[in-house]
Amino acid sequence: MRFACDTGGTFTDLIVEDDAGGLHMYKAATTPADPVKGVLDALALAAADMEMSLADLLAKGDMLIHGTTHAINAIITGNTAKTAFLTTAGHPDILVLREGGRIEPFNFVAPYPEPYLPRALTFEVPERIDSAGGVHTALDEAAVIAIAEELKAQDVEAVAVCLLWSIYNSTHELRVGELLEAHLPGVPYSLSHQLNPALREYRRASSTAIDASLKPLMGRYLGGLTERLTEAGFMGRTLVLTSQGGMLDASDLAQKPIHAINSGPSMAPIAGRHYARDDSDAPNVIIADTGGTTYDVSLVRQGRIPLTKETWIGQPFRGHMTGFPSIDIKSVGAGGGSIAWVDAGGLLHVGPQSAGAVPGPVCYGSGGTEPTLTDACLTLGYVDPDYFLGGTMQLDAGAAAQVVEDKVAQPLNISVMDAAAAIVSVATENMVQAIADITVNQGIDPADSVLIGGGGAAGLNSVFIARRLGCPTLLIPETGAGLSAAGALMSDLTNEYRATFFTTSGEFDRAGVNRVLEGLRAQCQVFIDGPGSGAASNDIEYTVEARYASQVWEIEVPLANDTFTDDAQLAALVEGFHAMHEQIFAIRDPGSVIEFVGWTATARCRLRAGDGGRLGAGADRSVSGSRKVYFSGAGEAEAVLHDFETMASGVEHQGPAIIESPFTTVVADADTSFQRTAAGSLLMRP
Amino acid sequence: MTDQAKEQLDGAQLAILANRFEGISSKMGNTLLRTGRSGVLNRAKDFSCCILTADHQLLAVAESLPIHVLSGPDIMAASMVEFHPELKKGDAFLHNSPYHGCSHPADHTIIMPVIDDDGTHHFTLLAKAHQADIGNSIPTTDHGTARDVYEEGALIFPAVQVMKDYETIDDIIRMCQMRIRVPEQWYGDFLAMLGSALIGERELLALGREVGWETLHAFTDQWFEYSEKRMIDAVREVPAGTHSAQSTHDAIPGTPDEGITVTSTVTVDAEAAIIDVDLRDNADQMNCGLNVSEACTRTAAYIGVFNSIDHTVPKNAGSLRRVRLQLKDAGVVGIPRHPISCSASTTNLADRIVSATQRAMAELGDGFGMGEVGCFCPPSTSVVSGTDPRTGKPYVNQLFLGHTAGAGAPHQDAWLTMLHVGNGGMCFIDSVELDEVYTPIHVNTRRLVPDSEGAGRYRGAPAIEVEFGPVDCRMEAGFVADGKIHVPQGARAGHASQPSEQLRRTRNKEIEVLDQCSIVWIEDGETLVSIAQGGGGYGDPRTREPERVAHDVREGLVSRERAAEIYAVAITEGGEIDSEQTAALRG
Repeated sequence: MRFACDTGGTFTDLIVEDDAGGLHMYKAATTPADPVKGVLDALALAAADMEMSLADLLAKGDMLIHGTTHAINAIITGNTAKTAFLTTAGHPDILVLREGGRIEPFNFVAPYPEPYLPRALTFEVPERIDSAGGVHTALDEAAVIAIAEELKAQDVEAVAVCLLWSIYNSTHELRVGELLEAHLPGVPYSLSHQLNPALREYRRASSTAIDASLKPLMGRYLGGLTERLTEAGFMGRTLVLTSQGGMLDASDLAQKPIHAINSGPSMAPIAGRHYARDDSDAPNVIIADTGGTTYDVSLVRQGRIPLTKETWIGQPFRGHMTGFPSIDIKSVGAGGGSIAWVDAGGLLHVGPQSAGAVPGPVCYGSGGTEPTLTDACLTLGYVDPDYFLGGTMQLDAGAAAQVVEDKVAQPLNISVMDAAAAIVSVATENMVQAIADITVNQGIDPADSVLIGGGGAAGLNSVFIARRLGCPTLLIPETGAGLSAAGALMSDLTNEYRATFFTTSGEFDRAGVNRVLEGLRAQCQVFIDGPGSGAASNDIEYTVEARYASQVWEIEVPLANDTFTDDAQLAALVEGFHAMHEQIFAIRDPGSVIEFVGWTATARCRLRAGDGGRLGAGADRSVSGSRKVYFSGAGEAEAVLHDFETMASGVEHQGPAIIESPFTTVVADADTSFQRTAAGSLLMRP
Repeated sequence: MTDQAKEQLDGAQLAILANRFEGISSKMGNTLLRTGRSGVLNRAKDFSCCILTADHQLLAVAESLPIHVLSGPDIMAASMVEFHPELKKGDAFLHNSPYHGCSHPADHTIIMPVIDDDGTHHFTLLAKAHQADIGNSIPTTDHGTARDVYEEGALIFPAVQVMKDYETIDDIIRMCQMRIRVPEQWYGDFLAMLGSALIGERELLALGREVGWETLHAFTDQWFEYSEKRMIDAVREVPAGTHSAQSTHDAIPGTPDEGITVTSTVTVDAEAAIIDVDLRDNADQMNCGLNVSEACTRTAAYIGVFNSIDHTVPKNAGSLRRVRLQLKDAGVVGIPRHPISCSASTTNLADRIVSATQRAMAELGDGFGMGEVGCFCPPSTSVVSGTDPRTGKPYVNQLFLGHTAGAGAPHQDAWLTMLHVGNGGMCFIDSVELDEVYTPIHVNTRRLVPDSEGAGRYRGAPAIEVEFGPVDCRMEAGFVADGKIHVPQGARAGHASQPSEQLRRTRNKEIEVLDQCSIVWIEDGETLVSIAQGGGGYGDPRTREPERVAHDVREGLVSRERAAEIYAVAITEGGEIDSEQTAALRG
């Protein structure tokens, strides 16, 4: 038996895979002060449902895969360790200056961000490596020892070390690490060249600073998790999801906690890829995960999930860039809690303000006073006030309609139904722009893509989003409400190794490249033979980051081979780059030299053979009949109600219709046809 | 269907279409950023993309450099139609003439009309990017001392056709390749701009097919009305009245010895809801490259206004209807006439227009305006050139190694990395490692300078010191640095910031003062030392929140002595506020 447990901001999702391969989904409330409690609560729900004790359930488990927001929450709330920053003398402001750049050039209200680690805890190390890797200024070891003593005096809890050009010559950074171990024993530290061997000192420094600042906390959290699971009777392996869409043993992750920044959300595209493969021939997949406050979009491009190094914690240029490769997820503040408001000029806005989970939408009756997207959907009849979350929460439809009337319909001088429909339309457009942004960046045409709607609220407007984007197919997986947890069951034990080595297509240093690739392969093998031993299967995938000469932004191109033995292989790589550049940016420059900068090898160990299983039916209420709903443009309609879990597969239906399960509600207007597929998803043609 | 019958869109439809136009312009901008070749484009983000109506009204601007777009694209698009009355689908034009609406000759621009299958011209697209080189007489794109356009040496393209039936016209490209230094880099940027315009065209044509051209045109009218209404509300918040302010650019060759003073007189007429900016009381055009083109003069005045009011007002032809500009013909700021040079038009003197305007706005009432932003262009943002000893090949590029420049605003401290006011902080700062790979240089130091900020209730940014030099070769560096004599002033009793400095450290470690406007060889073993200043503060520093002062002290940006002397806040050795002492100091 395997458990996949994803801790979100509001809910902790659990999917249990039983020994027959069947899936069971549970949701428990997240307890922010003690997230492990949410995990155990969800497991207790499962045990009760399966009519056994928690200890018995846990004893059956081989593996628990955990997605956690603990790292990112610590950063957002400022609860990371007191961390010092050690850097090359003369360059103390790397974390202050960042890489420049700004959004909203006329906004002088938003403050300039504080550095991730303060100047007060920044120490300049007398040393300098030059750009050729030579020692320009020798390391002053006595000065490092003096810094270590000062850190001790100041009770520093972690140390981040990022020296210029440590990626070309790591001797100084390594020596600083040794001196810290000797003179500041027991205080965790991170060295930039080991963690993130990439050019551009800010990004490397930022990753290192974030990583070091998380070490004490994530060490405690993951230690506590495994301990409490063991106490409760679990004897299997505890794995944690990483930002790169893989998983690592909890103890390994504690050593490199930056991997946990996007733990959880990174699984949505893994699940999306799986469900799209079952039911669609489209080459690309767009995965949209709707939460209460955020809308996360990720992609699969021809079977591969694109990564980015430009992941921001918070808003671009106002938050912190992790500088660390992570699955490319575009996150915008749009969700069921997004607040609708009309400005002084008579323009309707939805968000970016959100009512969040507390007080939440007006219809929750918990003190919310502003109309939200959820209130609009309730007013339009999309949501059944008596069957929200399977009937566990009663909604106040009258209050929702009243607030839409007062705050939107009257200022716009339109009917309450038109106002509610307008709120859905504007929110839909905001979501569409989020998808447009990431698809443009990654060169994906939505017309060649299938849209996957994940998250409990996805069904409310995904049909409209798909239509607006020109996506011919929309899929709502049966596990859509817990997409990340479902993805966790499909993920592989993964680790990634990288090296910086510069060469060009004009003067390709074949021997040098082969040496780098061989080094990466050896590192992967150690991982495969270690944590990966006993895996059902494993492989190593190689990619290179490349660009046209004098561009500064690289794109990632897969390598078809792990050594270069003839010119045809180089020619294929060059053509692969041109094609990728043209796909992403619409132009190619065949006359230009190509520069190859960073090389990556990813070791992937599949811990289990076979495909994902099916969700067992568990609802005790079957949905039937019809309900009045209202659509933008078409007006009022009588929507046929379908029960998601018991719907027969392969039967084509036409909207208007509502498809309900305890976890989600899906809306289909009159132009939409849909059917349940053999794999269990709802396939819709908008 | 007549104009009167134009459909009326509601607040939701307006919001959705506005979003879609913005989406298209940002898609264009993204393409340009990602595919551009020169550092000035892909690192400094010195580019912009916008959409205009067929009658040349600014409709949608991707987030780009303020100085590039608020005005200028309208004049350029009009010149395209004037010179090419018969536009066809698949046409595109190269434009960089400051005498026909371009900001300055370094900003090569692709203009493309969006024409449907029936041959109707619906919109016009612009993609503009600062080039690393444009074939000037010397290797810089900001030739501050050029007597005229002939000495400047730029190839000028007043809306010259470069694409017909979607095929590029290679004659023009060959001309550029024979004249522009590092021609492959220029050609790469040219392709990037063309790609950006083509993507915009494709998207707009699709939008027109989907929504209908009539609806789009109804939208543009109503969007301008909405924006104008928002602007009326914003203008009426500013206390009515008239105020003049001046800002002076330091002297360089070709200017009077006392430098060039820009006077901006701002009148807020609450009843008519108009802000009038009068720039007529300024000198005649001069025999140097500092003259500000019409596009930049207009834009600089608009930036001064928009920096000073509610930032959420949309910037387009609708809101601009509420700003009235009065310009001088053949003025050094205003409408300079051919063949006078506008080479450095987007930065130096244009920044002084913004500074004078936003300081005049500040004097109209607390809560409006801003201090003066730090001056361009320090040696840390030199155009450097030479031969790279590692490859034996020539190189030329502009560095963005370090800048601060931000000024205090009515409700917030400076945005640290503004670069200069016309840039609005959009510029990236170069990675030291990246610059050392691309250019044969070594960067010794890059650090903020303590106690250098323009003090205020909300303070300006501290200065930044950058020291760098060539490695195993000599390097030519060009810069036109302002702000050494006439430092950026504060607003509403905010303090000025410190002077900029342009220095050379010789092989025997002596410091030499360089001319502010220099094309200078730095020999192997020598370094350039650049002190780029921050901006002025806003409001009396003695009213600054003590916690903000304490934070600056703890962070090593302000000394305890300065905290006491300038801010009247006593900070203990441990970095805490001494409330009793502070109360005594503040009296």
